[in-house]
Amino acid sequence: MLAMAAVMLSVATILITWSVMGGFLKTLIASGKTLVGDVAIVWPNVGFAYYEDLIERLEADELIDSASPTIETFGLIELPDGRIELISIKGVEVSSYSDVTGFADTMWWKPIDEPTSKDHEGEDIRLDPQYRQMFEGMQANGLSMTRENLKTGHIEAAGVLGIEVTGLNDRRVWGGYYPWSPNRALPNGGTERLDVFMPRDGSVGLTILALDSSGRPIDPVTRTIPIANEFQSGLYEVDQGTIFVPLDVIQRMLRLDEASKVEMVRDDENPFEIQVDPVTGEIGPKMKEVVGVDPARVTTVLVRGVDGAELEAVRTRVREIYSEFADAHRGLVPDAINMQHQIKTWEDLNRTMISAVKKETGLVLFIFGIVSFTTVFLVLAIFWSMATEKTKDIGVLRALGASTPGIAWLWIRYGASIGIVGSVTGTVIGYWVVLNINAIHDWMGRTFGLVIWDPRQYYFVEIPSQVDLSKAVIVFVVGILTCVLGAAIPAVHSARMDPVKALRFE
Amino acid sequence: MERMVQEREAGATVRSEPILSVRNVHKTYNLGRVKVPVLHGVDLDVAQGEWVTILGASGSGKSTLLHLIGGLDRPDKHTNEPASMRFCNRELTRESKRSLDRYRADDVGFVFQFYHLLPELSVLENVTVGGMIKHGRLGYRTRCKEIVDRASGLLDRFGLSHRLRHRPAELSGGERQRVAIARALINEPNLLLADEPTGNLDLRTGESILDAIIEHRRDAGLTLVMVTHDERIAAKSDRVIQLVDGRVEEA
Ligand SMILES: Nc1ncnc2c1ncn2[C@@H]1O[C@H](COP(=O)(O)OP(=O)(O)OP(=O)(O)O)[C@@H](O)[C@H]1O
Ligand SMILES: [Mg+2]
Repeated sequence: MLAMAAVMLSVATILITWSVMGGFLKTLIASGKTLVGDVAIVWPNVGFAYYEDLIERLEADELIDSASPTIETFGLIELPDGRIELISIKGVEVSSYSDVTGFADTMWWKPIDEPTSKDHEGEDIRLDPQYRQMFEGMQANGLSMTRENLKTGHIEAAGVLGIEVTGLNDRRVWGGYYPWSPNRALPNGGTERLDVFMPRDGSVGLTILALDSSGRPIDPVTRTIPIANEFQSGLYEVDQGTIFVPLDVIQRMLRLDEASKVEMVRDDENPFEIQVDPVTGEIGPKMKEVVGVDPARVTTVLVRGVDGAELEAVRTRVREIYSEFADAHRGLVPDAINMQHQIKTWEDLNRTMISAVKKETGLVLFIFGIVSFTTVFLVLAIFWSMATEKTKDIGVLRALGASTPGIAWLWIRYGASIGIVGSVTGTVIGYWVVLNINAIHDWMGRTFGLVIWDPRQYYFVEIPSQVDLSKAVIVFVVGILTCVLGAAIPAVHSARMDPVKALRFE
Repeated sequence: MERMVQEREAGATVRSEPILSVRNVHKTYNLGRVKVPVLHGVDLDVAQGEWVTILGASGSGKSTLLHLIGGLDRPDKHTNEPASMRFCNRELTRESKRSLDRYRADDVGFVFQFYHLLPELSVLENVTVGGMIKHGRLGYRTRCKEIVDRASGLLDRFGLSHRLRHRPAELSGGERQRVAIARALINEPNLLLADEPTGNLDLRTGESILDAIIEHRRDAGLTLVMVTHDERIAAKSDRVIQLVDGRVEEA
């Protein structure tokens, strides 16, 4: 009975842990994918040109659904309360970007009809019919990345900010946000109440370093960008450190837009003259200035395969298409050979994060595995004492002619049946708990005030969970084996006992 | 080999060829470093159908000898002359553990000095368990009815038909001993080894149990080796031997 309970509990715990960790990983991966699409072609910093041609070529392929040009860079953001933070900036063409990624769904400020799963009280202000029109406007703003300037009436290009960036959105226990107005510290030691709601009247200052045509940073450029909406991807790192800005805005800021350019080329008329580079001090051949048109550039093209397309197949196809593209623009875009390693699936891009969580899962499982290993000893101890208690009876059975393997088999069968019953109930309980884990958790929170998974700390609103049949089967089988193993040693021991001694046992 | 079987009781089917022939059996127990010699060269022949009673002081090794005959234990090996225990035409000292298991299950019935019933089983199950061991789990299933019938028949003869579902703990000592005897007889053994079957019982109960055994012996042609302290019981048997100083002395 005791042994059965031990097995049951171990089986249930392992199954629950594994499922929750697995679900955690899956949710994380899914979130990681949301803003990336399937395959990315990345040429960092300087970017590459003629991307429109590349996109055309990509979209012509039947394996590829859509592609979108983006620029990924870093800059400084000045927030309404005066803080300046490092931020990852993504310049996107919002319509094509929404096609390739789940961007549109991550938009937070929009009217909703049903409360989110944890919002039992319906506290979410997005539910409020009174604000419906306002949120509809914000949603439209987010999807067009524009906002009307309330003073001038002009429609301006606007950014979409990660919801955790400003700190002006208070994350509630039910997993949603409530905008609030904090105080801002003033230089004279006083404070000033900030009364902004970012998608309504907030804006941020964005400072980035423009690059020259060789990729070297030149002057910093600063622009004020109104905020059209805020997004929540589900990855905290992304949501607290990312801003989306219209692609043309960022291209201009980075000077990656189409422009006439001045380029230094080797002066072939005077091949033997040299000059000293004013920046590095190096001596090189004399260069001359040439004026031409520099096409617009992007650092990244994101690609989405058609539904059901194999990720690897899409990547291979993208690589092929890039090769053709590079052939067509030889010398003007990065070589196909260099680019092969820059064409990555979203899994490659998120590899470090994914492998970190995978490792964590492995570690937790390992620890629980050790804990469960003690179950073997528990079962062993329980069986040992049972076998000792039954020494005399075993002696009787031996005297009646029962063989050593016969007796051992009796115990092992007993162990196996305990293992089976324990594992079955353990699996059922574990399965049930995982399926209802959020309900159970809520109930625990209500009844005992015990909240383990606080959405204010953990970024996922719900405790993610998934029960894999294969996992359940593995845990189940291991549970039974545990019992058999625990029963086997006492079984062999008691069966091998000298029957005469066993009969004398008191 | 000279036989000295005296056919005392005519009713029994006593024949002269020995079913069991024990020669030069030594047994020494090791208690840590102390050696406890119990048997020093026991010689004993038992004829088919014979009833032999073993007398001896307490601690003289009667139970030990029964255990050896019953294949529960083995005689010492390291003596000058090797021990021999022949049963029918088998040399038990040379048999494997496995075939000794079979020997106990098929040929021997054991009645222990202290009943040794299984407390978790009912009276009926305590008897049928012998059949289960003999035939194996599968074999038992096919013969289940036959064995249960036999078991309840035996228990009926021993006056326990109304007790079949009871646990041993609910029975009196005499009733328990009768259950133990029924268990020993369930597989129709050739040889019944009974270690003081009446030792813990009052005279009348003892007699009734003895009668049950005697009756069964007559019907089944059973060979019986019995240990007892009771001279009156000994007097009823075909032959009495005495264990003295680890050897057999004919009374
Ligand atoms: N397993 C054992 N280990 C050590 N000594 C033992 C063991 N079994 C029996 N003995 C010793 O061997 C001797 C003979 O024991 P046994 O049980 O055969 O005597 P017995 O003649 O049956 O006595 P009783 O009439 O009291 O039943 C005793 O002195 C006993 O202490
Ligand atoms: Mg004894």
